[in-house]
Amino acid sequence: MPSTQDIKQRIEAGIPGSRAEVQDTTGGGDHFSAVVTAPAFEGLSRIEQHRLVYDVFGAEVGGAIHALALRTRAPSTATTPTH
Amino acid sequence: MSASQFDPIPMLASEPAAAPTPAASEEPNPIREAIAEAISEHKVILFMKGTPEAPACGFSARTVAVLQALEVPFAAVDILPDPRLRAELSAISNWPTIPQLFADGELIGGCDIVVEMYESGELAEALQ
Repeated sequence: MPSTQDIKQRIEAGIPGSRAEVQDTTGGGDHFSAVVTAPAFEGLSRIEQHRLVYDVFGAEVGGAIHALALRTRAPSTATTPTH
Repeated sequence: MSASQFDPIPMLASEPAAAPTPAASEEPNPIREAIAEAISEHKVILFMKGTPEAPACGFSARTVAVLQALEVPFAAVDILPDPRLRAELSAISNWPTIPQLFADGELIGGCDIVVEMYESGELAEALQ
């Protein structure tokens, strides 16, 4: 059962320079939401940005991780990340 | 015979992001073809868990609510009755989660992107 810390570390390790804020939305260790900011997102569409994050987890998203809700931002377009 | 043809499918269901095996892409694949046809034939089509009247997942429900708020006519496909639907859809779209919204043959996104685009006003434009 991954923790929010596991999810955060894996995203930040998988996408160089990224910063992730992760919440466990149900407390059950299988529904998460994440706000991810990464230089690698620059110039990518939202779909491409989300795919980069999903790719960190491969088959786990939709499997052991039932849901990973995402908000992604390139640093240049990042607004206040806390809301 | 047709049953053994679909042996790789359960594996794909648990590894939705994985590329299909070479054998699978050479075999006739009626489910994948039917999905591709549905995507190309409908201007706006939503693959979801449950139906618009009775969504079976909060993310699907939210996506339906957004489309209804925009009063956009859309086709809906419930992927729950057959796990192969989800596996083949994800193989086509390279997108691991459900729901998936397509417009004009292109993947718009899942629930998060659809809601974000709704809030910014982009969705109404994309679905016109």
